Amino acid sequence: MTNWPLPLKKIIAEFQDCFDRMERYELLFDYANKLPHELQSKDWTEENRVKGCQSKAHVECMIDENGGFQIHGAADANLVQGLIAILAIGVDGMPPSEVASLSPKFVDEMDVKASLTPSRANGFLNMFEMIRNTAADMETEA
Amino acid sequence: MGLDLEAIRADFPILSRTMDGGRPLVYLDNAATTQKPKQVIEAMNSYYENTNSNVHRAVHTLAGEATEGYENARTEIAAYFGSPRDHLIFTSGTTEAINLVAYGWARANLSKGDVIVTTEMEHHADIVPWQILSKERGIEIRYIPLERDTLTLDMDAFEIAVKDASLICVVHTSNVLGVRNDVERIIQLSKTKGNRGNGAFVMIDAAQAAPHERINFIELGCDFLALSSHKMGGPTGIGGLFVKPEIMETMDPFISGGDMIETVTLEGSTFQKGPPKFEAGTPRIAEAFGWHAAIKWLSTHNMEEVHEHVSNLARHTAEQMSKISGIKIYGRHDLENCSGVVSFLHEKIHAEDLAHLLDSGGFAVRTGHHCAQPLMEALGVSSTARISFWLYNTQEEANAFVEHLESIVERFG
Repeated sequence: MTNWPLPLKKIIAEFQDCFDRMERYELLFDYANKLPHELQSKDWTEENRVKGCQSKAHVECMIDENGGFQIHGAADANLVQGLIAILAIGVDGMPPSEVASLSPKFVDEMDVKASLTPSRANGFLNMFEMIRNTAADMETEA
Repeated sequence: MGLDLEAIRADFPILSRTMDGGRPLVYLDNAATTQKPKQVIEAMNSYYENTNSNVHRAVHTLAGEATEGYENARTEIAAYFGSPRDHLIFTSGTTEAINLVAYGWARANLSKGDVIVTTEMEHHADIVPWQILSKERGIEIRYIPLERDTLTLDMDAFEIAVKDASLICVVHTSNVLGVRNDVERIIQLSKTKGNRGNGAFVMIDAAQAAPHERINFIELGCDFLALSSHKMGGPTGIGGLFVKPEIMETMDPFISGGDMIETVTLEGSTFQKGPPKFEAGTPRIAEAFGWHAAIKWLSTHNMEEVHEHVSNLARHTAEQMSKISGIKIYGRHDLENCSGVVSFLHEKIHAEDLAHLLDSGGFAVRTGHHCAQPLMEALGVSSTARISFWLYNTQEEANAFVEHLESIVERFG
């Protein structure tokens, strides 16, 4: 296993332990309820909408008082919200520079991609790319 | 006698493939596109292996055979819809067929002050072209609402709206609700009361109807009939617009270029008469061969039996689904003429989640707004999940679907 940040490592291991696709979905549903920073629906705007997503998904990246990276997000579909939660938990509090250099390969290790249609998997990777770019911008501005 | 489902299914190679975990494929997305019988696949393969050539111009043997096959397809497909061959313009599908009415006929024949009547139940393909035309020409569009309690068109509103209307555009069978509109009455009212009693022109979107019932364009009495091959066992990329010849003469070409002209000089061009005027460029030759094969294959089945089988599956499945806690059905499956479409939602599980969870069991279903956002708004939802049956689906598949849906609701609901 690649040297992922500890929270992400734990998530990857959990998904690797899943017996089948239904179990992975169940885990994603569980994670949907564990969003560390839920973006309330009143704060869903066109600016923070995740483009190309069939369900409604919104994500905003912020910096906490200790300079750590935070993902605030939510979606109306549980599987999408679960994916947002994995990212949010996986990188929560990390320095933006580390988030910016995170490889998307953790998705392959989780074996989640096989459970998503190609368009959903691409949507997830696009969201991840957007988060990395935002983290890189934050690093530059800091 | 009934449909021989075993024999029918044997004609569809894809139905024997297995999905994740070795589960059999249960294909329930037929309203989006149907699977193709081997006869269609073989016809298209054979065209490319033995006949491939461009049509109409060259004098060599292959070109002659390709032209003959292409024009035979037009003759036989038109005949299937009760029509002479010169009434059928090949298009890329229903969307292009409706756009051909908008750009080819309406632009040449409607102007500011004219009224187009359409409905809340339409696919975007039967809304957007009229909105573009309205903006360009100042034409008024009136939308017939859906009666919220019956989920059928408000025919009282239609009778009022049609009186000074020039063009009526109505979907034959809804791709969301499974409701078959009373198109016969709509056409009759349009012809007797439309445009202040002189009769209105009528365009019927029959994309969802053609797979379920035999439509006779001449007997139906509309002016334009739009449909797609791929929703009735044929290939994607081809469909048709049926037009009465006297109306076709009043239409301008929608796209222009090769094949549709008689002569071209630097000063100007003259066009062919009839369907070729609207089929510029190299046409969809292999697709025409494929659609012809689909029509031949469908002709071996009694469409009344197909309709009964498909609507019974939808009715029975909707009944069973409505017993599952939290499931709400959108549609009228109690109506005799309902099609094979069942739209639904669960009160807690998002439609997209449902589709993923169903897919894990090998069930191919659709989610989204189904290109009918105004209808979604009328229903008070942003999307639905949708299953849609066709003649190869079985009661066992329907039962397995309900069982899997129940288990999903128990586990995730």
